[in-house]
Formats: sequence, structure tokens, C-alpha cells
Amino acid sequence: MTALATTVNVMHHAFRAGLADYRAIFTWKSWLAGWMVRVIAQVAFFALIGERLGDDQKTFYLLVGNSILIAAVTGIFSLNMTTGERWAGTLPLLVASPSSPILVFSARGSYLAADGALSALAALFIAGPLFGMELPWPRVLAVVPLTAVVGLASYCFGTFLAGIVFRFRSINGLVVLTVTVLLMAACGVNVPLSYYPEALEWFSRVLPVTNGLLAIRGVLDGADTATILGNAALEAAVAVGWMTLALASFNRLASRGRRDGSLDYGA
Amino acid sequence: MEEVSRVFEPRKKPPVVALDGVSLSIPSGEIHGLLGPNGAGKTTLVKILSTVLLPTSGRARVLGHDVVEETKAVRPAIGIVFGGERGLYWRLTGRQNLEYWGALYKLSARETKARTQRLIDRVGLTERADERVETYSRGMKQRLHLARGLVGDATVLFLDEPTTGMDPLAAREFRTLIAELRREGRTILLATHDMVEAETVCDRVTLIDRGKVVATESPRTLGRVISRFQRIDVEGVDGAVLDQVRTLTGVSSVVEIDGGARIEVDEEGATQVVLGRLVEAGATSVRTSLPSLEEVYVQLIGDRGLEL
Amino acid sequence: MRAFLAGFRLELRIIRAAPDAFIPLATAPLFALIFLSIVRQSGRPDLQADALMAPVLMTLWWIALQQAGNMITGDRWEALLEPLLATPANLASVLLGRIAALTCFGLISFLEVWIVGELAFGVSIPFEHPVALVVTLLVTAFATAGTSVAFAAVFVLTRNAYTFTNSLSYPLYLLGGVFVPAAILPGFIQPISTGIFMSWSADLLRASLKPPPIDDLWQRIGVVVLLGALSFLLGRALLFHVLRRMRTNGELATA
Repeated sequence: MTALATTVNVMHHAFRAGLADYRAIFTWKSWLAGWMVRVIAQVAFFALIGERLGDDQKTFYLLVGNSILIAAVTGIFSLNMTTGERWAGTLPLLVASPSSPILVFSARGSYLAADGALSALAALFIAGPLFGMELPWPRVLAVVPLTAVVGLASYCFGTFLAGIVFRFRSINGLVVLTVTVLLMAACGVNVPLSYYPEALEWFSRVLPVTNGLLAIRGVLDGADTATILGNAALEAAVAVGWMTLALASFNRLASRGRRDGSLDYGA
Repeated sequence: MEEVSRVFEPRKKPPVVALDGVSLSIPSGEIHGLLGPNGAGKTTLVKILSTVLLPTSGRARVLGHDVVEETKAVRPAIGIVFGGERGLYWRLTGRQNLEYWGALYKLSARETKARTQRLIDRVGLTERADERVETYSRGMKQRLHLARGLVGDATVLFLDEPTTGMDPLAAREFRTLIAELRREGRTILLATHDMVEAETVCDRVTLIDRGKVVATESPRTLGRVISRFQRIDVEGVDGAVLDQVRTLTGVSSVVEIDGGARIEVDEEGATQVVLGRLVEAGATSVRTSLPSLEEVYVQLIGDRGLEL
Repeated sequence: MRAFLAGFRLELRIIRAAPDAFIPLATAPLFALIFLSIVRQSGRPDLQADALMAPVLMTLWWIALQQAGNMITGDRWEALLEPLLATPANLASVLLGRIAALTCFGLISFLEVWIVGELAFGVSIPFEHPVALVVTLLVTAFATAGTSVAFAAVFVLTRNAYTFTNSLSYPLYLLGGVFVPAAILPGFIQPISTGIFMSWSADLLRASLKPPPIDDLWQRIGVVVLLGALSFLLGRALLFHVLRRMRTNGELATA
């Protein structure tokens, strides 16, 4: 097989493996009744703050921000799925494999990124009209690919975090939830970046969601294409950056693990 | 226990009779073994006696109190020791686990602390008492289970397969502990599928299979029963010798296997005769073994009219 | 009483040993930051008290749902329920003790948001009606505990408790009027909110931090107590049912 064919083959299997994991947890019914209800409630919770403030613009601002954040919630959740025995087993193999690990990892998690993006978009397109928000057609369709990039960036960030907490699996839940709320606080989801102290503003640019959200807000507000594309590119760069860091940390994990036997760390 | 039955009705499946008219009587101060293969109903029986499960029919009494009606009288006086990895708060230390269970037995804080320390020393966990249970080996967890069972100073103890998964040395130490307990006047019901364990520790043993009591005997009798059924694996003798062996009294079967044979005996004393014959004939290797518990049951249940 | 204390002490030890217990305490300060920045950036300092109390209430809900809700389910999987049954202790008391410990632990979030408000924005909690505040917090904790018992008993009977607890979080924050008063919610949802003790507690908490005198204070406190007690009684009844089922069937509802 050519290198390309091998890579595609591995990606295909990686995707299927991820999907199987996923199916074990969700069914259509539980996704709709359980997950989506919670998602809409989450977005509505914040949008209503805008109503309380008596400010329509603020309501829409909060609505958009918290909808897109849902993509990150799922992406960070990937941390849970990527730790454990399976990880310990496949990790060194993947790192040592001839196909590009970045592509393989992205394939395995793409269903998560996809689910995140899908949930976020569903939230936006359902909650938006509910709160009387007018979505500018057909321009608004540009939000779809942008949300996908946000989902991917969050997944890459989650994967990086997975590498860090790998040895302390008991704090998984704590990390996932704290990071999610942290993103809520730091990525311009609820207040504009200009409100932050400058240092925080710079830091947030390196996190997932921030740039993608700016791009999405740009689309909805009718900003010029160059700005939108610029932010989108930044978000993509953030995704690649975190994935690269993730792989570097996995490399270290794998080699250190080989030395001290920690790769056997099972459930 | 009088004619105790227990039927389980799992959803969408036919009912399972776990216990069928079991009658049993255990005098105080006795270590009584409950011997049976997996699924025989041992755990069910233990659960009923420890008030955790209700019988479908029949009555059972512990220390004179009915297990269904008088749980308030029964529970303070009993202790359960389950086997296995679960049943402990693995994030807490051994000591913390014991202190919790002690408090549940209405001990005062001071009593709890003192008794916990005594028990920790007694079961040999002194060095690891303050480490998380998740770091314990199987044997250590088992010892902690035993300590937990004793924390209420139980008069009656129920042990359900306590040495499963333990290495032989640990299991032997455990049994010594159990013998000590009997000297303290406690009554013990020990459910196990380990024949050796039943033989070495118990005063009497009840054989149970598929929810029914097969027999209640002293281990010596059991031992005799079992040693009747011996198996001899031999190599290096030819067909003529085997034919001879076949005709000896007490030999129930001779099966030829690659290069050798397996001879089964079902009478006491037959083994010596057979062995003598084989050695005379110049066998190159001879090995005897006991049948498994299941095989003994098959024999016993098959010959229901057997005099023991 | 001993059983209650045994449970209380057990849970304190479990909290110390389990990182997950700290989730609400880790997120409460962050939420305080988020909410405060929203109201301040919109030039509404009058809503700062609302912003500060919301994370406290979210913490209490989280504890009721996740920690308490999964308590029996978790114990069951670890084969800890049956040995507990065989002891002379009352299982309901032990459970209540554990839940009480969790609720007290959750009240730490009140201190956290206070500190965050001061450090980050120089905002302190306005103690306009201190008695009302303290009493409200106490009865809210009590009602949370009662509701937790109900959750614990209900969830052990359901098939997929964990997805349940995850999907109920934000809906309960909404219905409980945790930040935005339930009165703002659409008309058809109002009746549900009224039946949830949190909506009353939230209104009272917010009112106790604002200058105007509080209307019908003691009646409303009474409603919280009543709703909490009702949840507790329901939970207790369910618990008996659960235990009886366990003794009779040898197992609980299958997962």
C-alpha cells in the first residue's frame, strides 16, 4: 500500500473506533431528550441574563457566544475518551506509526468535533429564533464551517490536556468541567475581549473558541470578509498548534512510559 | 433453617430456583462449612441468613430470632465477610473503612478507635492500615473484609468464599484466624467451593448443589467419601497389565490415553492394590489425584441411595 | 443519630479523597467572575448581588444532582449496599448524614464568591438583611438535602442515572431561577418553577442583599421548608421501596 492509502485506511478505522465508543454512550433518544434539552437550557440560561439586563443586543451576544461554546464542551470532553488502557496501548503505536499522527488523531476525534459543532449549530438555530434573533440568510451559513473549526480546535486542546492529566486519571472529571467553564470565562463568550485586561486578551487568542467566535460574530454582524477569514485562519492555527503540542507530549509520555512502566497504567 | 426456598424472577427470563426446601441446623460454637459448586445457592443462603434477602418460603432463625421479622435483634449480632474486590470504599484507608462500619454498629467514638486498632493488628494489616484500600493486594482486602465482619463483635459470622483468589500461604493464615475465632465461642458459617478448605477448617460440612442439600457430614466422612474416588494416571504399562487392573475390585474404569492410561477407583483401599500392581508391572510414572468437587457430586447425586 | 454521624464523617473523608467532589468549588469562582463581568460590563451594578448568589445556588444544585443523586447508585455498583443493610444502622439516616456533609461542603461556595468579588472587582456582598440571608441559606441547605434524598432514591431506580444527572443541570438552574428570577420565564413554565424550592430561595437570597424590605419573608421561608420537607418525605418513601425491593428481589431495577 502506498503511504497515502495506508493513512486513509488508518484514519477510516480510527474514525470507526471513535464512533463505536460514542454509540456506547448515546442513542438518538438520549441525545435528543438528554443532551439537546440541556444544551438549549444552557444557552437560554445565559440569553435570559440579557433579557434581565433589558438589552436585546446583549441577549443575542450571550446567545451566540454560549451556543458556540457548546462545541467546546464536547471537544474538551474528548479528554475523557482519550485516557485509559486503550490509550496506553495505542498511544506508542500511533506515535511511532508512519502515517501522520495528526491526521490519525483528528480522524478519531472527528466525530466528537462533529457532534460538538452540530450541537452548537442546533442550539444557535433553535434558540436564536426563540429569542427573536434574526439570522441573516444566506450569509449565516458561513457559520457552519466556522463552528466546525471551533469544534476541531477544542478537540485538539482537549487531546493536549489528555496528555497532561494522563497520569492522574482521577482528576479527569474535575479538569474537564473546570476547563469548560474557564473557556466560558476567557474566550469572549459572555463579554467582549476588550473588557479583559490586556494580558488575558492575548492569552485567550491562543485558546480554542476565541478566534472562531470572533469570526462567527463577524459573519452575523456583517463584518468584512478579510477580518472573518483572518480570525478563522487563527482558529485553524490554534487547532494545529495544540495538536502538535499534544503529539509532542505524547511522544514524551510514550518514551518515559517505556522507561518506568507507566504505560501499563490501567483502570 | 426450615424448608427455606428462594425463587428469583429475573425480568424476561424464566424463574430461577436458587434454594429449594433447604433445612439446616447449626449449633452455636460450630464452624459449619457450606460446600458447593458455583451457582449452588451458597451466596443466596448466606444472604437470607444475614437478613439481606427474604426467602420466598420457609423460616430461618439466627440465635433464636426470625431473620424476616426480627431483624433488629439479628443484625447487631452478626457479621458478614464477603469475598472479592468490592464492598470497600477504595478511596479511603483500611482504618477509615473500619471506623465507618464500627460506627454503624453503634460503638462510641472511643470504642470504635480502640476496636479498629485491635482488629487491624489481629488481621495483620498494621503496616498498611493508613493507606488507601485501592493499593491493597487481594489478600489484604480479604483480611480487611474479615476485620469488617468482626467490628461488631459478632456472635455469628457468615463468610462467603473468603479465600477466593488468595495465594495458598495467605489462605492458610486466614484459616488459622478463623480457627481462633471459633475458640472465642463464635459460630461460623463458611461458604466455599474449596474442598480442602472445608475439610481443614470445619466441624461439619453441608454439601449443597443446585439449591438442594445433598448431605451434611463431618469432614472426615467427606474425606473418606472423596478419597474413595481416586484417580490414577499411569505411563509405561501395556494393554495386558491394564486388562488385569480392570478386573481388580473397586476399579470403576480404565481408559487408555496416549502412552498411558487413566484408572478410576471407587472403593476405599482399592488404590493401594492398583498401585501395587502397576509398580510390579514396571510402570514408568504413576500419579494419583483426587476428583474435582463437581465430579464427586456427580457420583453422589447419581448414587442418591449411597450410604455415607 | 449515630448512623447520621457515621454517614457525615464518612462523606467528609470521601470528599477529601475524591477530586470530583471539588468540581463545584472549582467552577463557582469562575462563574462568579463570568456573571459579575457580564453585569458590570453592561453597567448594571445593581445586579451584582444576583451575580454573586447564582454560583452558590448552582453549587447546591450540582451537589444534589451529581454527588447525592449518584450516591446510592455508586454504592450499589461497589457492593456496599448489602453489607450496609446487614448492620443495625438505619440506611436512611446514614444517607442523610452523607448528604448533610455534602451540603455543608457546598456552602463553602458562598465564601468563595465573596472572596472572588472582593479580589477581582472590589465588590463585597451587601448584607442588607443579614438575618434573612442566614436563615435563607440554612433552609435552602436543608431543602437541598431533602431534594438530594429524593434524587438519590429516584436515580437508583432509573436505568441510566448518569445521563440523567448531566442533562438536568441547566434546566434546573433555569427553573430554579438561579440567576434570572423565575418570574421572567414564559408563562407555561411558571407553575413548575413554583413547585421548586430553589426559585423561592433564589428570590429570597437576592432580596436579602438589596435595600428594600422583604415582603412576606417568613411565609416564603415557610414555603422553602415545606417544599424541602416534602422532597425529603418522598425520598424516604422511595428509599423504603428501594430497600424492600432489594430484599425481596435480590436486586434493584436492572440498569
